[in-house]
Amino acid sequence: MDLRARLSAELERRQKANPRYSLRAFARNLGTHHTTLLRLLRQGRRLTPAMTRRLGQRLGLTHAQIAGAIAHEQDAAVLSLLPHSSFRSDSRWLAMMTGLPLDEVNITLQRLLSGRRLTMHTALTWTREGT
Amino acid sequence: MNATVTRWQLISPEPEAAASFYQRLFGWTVTQGNHLGYREVKSGGTRGIDGGIWPAPAGQPGFVQLFVEVPDLDLCLESAVRLGAKVLVPRTVLPDGDAMAILLDPTGVSLGVCTLAPRPA
Repeated sequence: MDLRARLSAELERRQKANPRYSLRAFARNLGTHHTTLLRLLRQGRRLTPAMTRRLGQRLGLTHAQIAGAIAHEQDAAVLSLLPHSSFRSDSRWLAMMTGLPLDEVNITLQRLLSGRRLTMHTALTWTREGT
Repeated sequence: MNATVTRWQLISPEPEAAASFYQRLFGWTVTQGNHLGYREVKSGGTRGIDGGIWPAPAGQPGFVQLFVEVPDLDLCLESAVRLGAKVLVPRTVLPDGDAMAILLDPTGVSLGVCTLAPRPA
């Protein structure tokens, strides 16, 4: 699950019901600062697992949905690095660049491989699939 | 087909704790000096085979997986599918040059198949 999309959809739903409903009010309801929410929605700020859990709980998501949102964010973080000019097929480099613990990087790689969203063609060449 | 079990892998939801446990229990050596930070386990004996520890996603149970070295990975995958297996992870070339794939056999047991890159003499 893409938590950013879910947050945007929820904000839109509330604003439709109440045209005066603001981003600030939504942020307050979620227990976060409006600038944090703005950065999440419009500037692609990184969603940490802790933040995803907190926002997910406020949105009433299930544990499975929150776990899915965390995985979605981690998948996106790793995949976004494939075109990086200094990309290295190295889990420690990925961990450093994403801020994820090494084991989380490897769990993410496994998920991407089994989901056919990443192919490791050679020792140095990894490509994103299906998007 | 010449196929030999050359490696075992413990998939653990707590890989660090597992590594510590086996180091203390058996005196096994665990190192992570590779591109994936994969915990390679050496028993130090002259018999048996070495293995490794890989992290399992949170909430999933741990299990042991065997790795079978085969001469031709693609041919092995074709044969396995023809015999009723599913390919969980397709052919993947690891940063050290070894190629591997993960299968689910027709009885629901997962196993790895691999071909190893030539090692320096």
